[in-house]
Amino acid sequence: MDSKKVIATNQLCKIYSTGRVQVEALKDINLDIDQGTFVAVAGASGSGKSTLLNLLGGLDRPTSGVIEVEGKKISEMTREELALYRRFGVGMIFQSFNLISSRTAVENVELPLVFANVLKRDRRQRAEKMLDRVGLLPRRRHRPPELSGGEQQRVAIARALINEPKILLADEPTGNLDSRTSREILQLLAALNQAQGLTVVLVSHEVALAREFAGETIGLRDGRVESRERVR
Amino acid sequence: MKISDYIGLSLSNLWKRKLRTFLTAFGVTVVIGALVAMVGFGKGMQKNITESFESLDLFNSLTVFPAGPATQRFGFDPDDQAPVEKNPRGGGPILDDEAIKKLEKLEGVQSVFPEIRFPALIKFKDAEELRLVQVIPAKITSSKLIKLSLGKPFASDDEDSVILGTSLLRPLKIQDPASLLGQKIEVASIAFDFSRFNPMNIASFLQERQLPFKKTAYEFTVIGVTSAISFGGPSPLQSDVLIPPGSARRIEKLPFANIWDLFRAREGRLGYSAVNIRLSSPRDVDSVKREIQDMGFSTFALVDQFNQVRTSFIYMDMMLAAVAMIAIFVASLGIINTMVMSILERYSEIGIMKAVGASDSDIQKIFFFESSSIGFLGGVCGLALGWVVSRIINRVINFFLAKQGLPFFEYFSFPLWLCLGAVAFAVLVSLVSGIYPAYRAARVDPVIALRHD
Repeated sequence: MDSKKVIATNQLCKIYSTGRVQVEALKDINLDIDQGTFVAVAGASGSGKSTLLNLLGGLDRPTSGVIEVEGKKISEMTREELALYRRFGVGMIFQSFNLISSRTAVENVELPLVFANVLKRDRRQRAEKMLDRVGLLPRRRHRPPELSGGEQQRVAIARALINEPKILLADEPTGNLDSRTSREILQLLAALNQAQGLTVVLVSHEVALAREFAGETIGLRDGRVESRERVR
Repeated sequence: MKISDYIGLSLSNLWKRKLRTFLTAFGVTVVIGALVAMVGFGKGMQKNITESFESLDLFNSLTVFPAGPATQRFGFDPDDQAPVEKNPRGGGPILDDEAIKKLEKLEGVQSVFPEIRFPALIKFKDAEELRLVQVIPAKITSSKLIKLSLGKPFASDDEDSVILGTSLLRPLKIQDPASLLGQKIEVASIAFDFSRFNPMNIASFLQERQLPFKKTAYEFTVIGVTSAISFGGPSPLQSDVLIPPGSARRIEKLPFANIWDLFRAREGRLGYSAVNIRLSSPRDVDSVKREIQDMGFSTFALVDQFNQVRTSFIYMDMMLAAVAMIAIFVASLGIINTMVMSILERYSEIGIMKAVGASDSDIQKIFFFESSSIGFLGGVCGLALGWVVSRIINRVINFFLAKQGLPFFEYFSFPLWLCLGAVAFAVLVSLVSGIYPAYRAARVDPVIALRHD
């Protein structure tokens, strides 16, 4: 495997079975993603793009096939090992932000550090620094319901990156945002990608918008890779 | 995760749902409170009995009865056949002064005194009480058996002195026991009046309700007041009016204190109904008992009684345990319910925690800490509740007992192990209750949880 490749999948399959019905969400996906790239995964809803992201993020397990991230086969990891992978290996953001609404912005950003065994005073310091980087330091004491959608997504990005992962997985991060805010969020992701060499895998159905920022797009259709295109 | 983080996270979660947390913890509080009060009461009684046995030296006590049906003092069966007679006079050896001398010579015997009681009216000023007066030798009044709260023991067996129990103070309308010392009281004994006894005229006695008895009054000086004595129980002390044997001999009195004495008197076997023996050590109880039984007497050792009491305490503890198990089962259902509800409410939160790197065991521990916090809270409050309830009950019991002239008594005991054990038990139960919810929380599928909203 090329040392530049940070994510590699081989014959990746995911089948959901609900009762007697079996749904093949992903079929024989073979993907290589280089380190430091901004990849947009596009496709209609039901094309399997979120499933792919959940597999890459270690939230779910493939039915068959191999996923290697930074040389480690996460498809063969135990539940505890997967937890460690999610803690340090990747960061994830979601369409619905998935912040804990009863906790302030800074507390939400701190949460991964709690599981990473970081001392309390260091946690606060690091979380505030991270919030500063996404431009939300003044709003750190606000709870998610008091923040706008764009602000909430920034908090989510800060949380995803607090443990300094090499990969950021974004599942429709602009789905709940207006076009101006969507653009701002994608700009932020692009900036993080360029400045820090963060590998970003963005799942979006807004192909046009994604192409503006991504270096590479992957088209999914019915669980298969339909197209792959380098944008720049 | 650090323990402080688990605690912080759990407490903040519980605090978010204050009402439910407190209601659940309150269930535990009631159970632990009841448990602490009940066990505290049991232990208190046990402690009181053990301590009073020890302080009165009752473990060194042995009571001797004449053999025969009359020894069954605690139950009478008229059809009961007399035992096979050992000597021609019937029954077995008589418990008289001669027998006492023999008993005194046995190894390990410290002192021997017969149980002599006779009915008498105790008069002080215008108050009057009927009592069985007990005869106690001077040396016994200075032993551990009698705890004097005021005054001093009898100096000799011949003085006209009396020691009163505190339980007699109220009936005699005495406010200040100290003022009683040195005062004279009247002990009016009842005896047969042969001059008035005419068998031909028995019908007239009954008609006029005039029995052939006469009353003679004797004056005694109060020299001591003894605090609560457990007379009526197994103690050799069976009265709250005590006089020395010398002066007792001068009193004309009925030669019996109970119906058995009458039977023996009829058989011409008038001896003492019982003799109390004090041993130098509890270890001598068995050997002395055997020797006395070989002499043809029956014996009663308080140690045996104590062991019976102890067995009954074990039964009581088992009953308590059974009741506690039912109660704690109900309380633990409450905890399980609360925790399962909490999982459902926090489903997406659990998913989020997993997505940012919480492991199954992290989630499990968070839930364990939450359920044990409920248990700890309930345990501590329950301990406090049990203590408060026991204080109230103690007050109420003592209020009513004080009316009967009994001194203040502590019915509850809270040894350290009980306090720590109650809280530890509450935590343990809540931990066990938390097993299923914690397992369920740990198995939450983050993909489903994050899709939730």
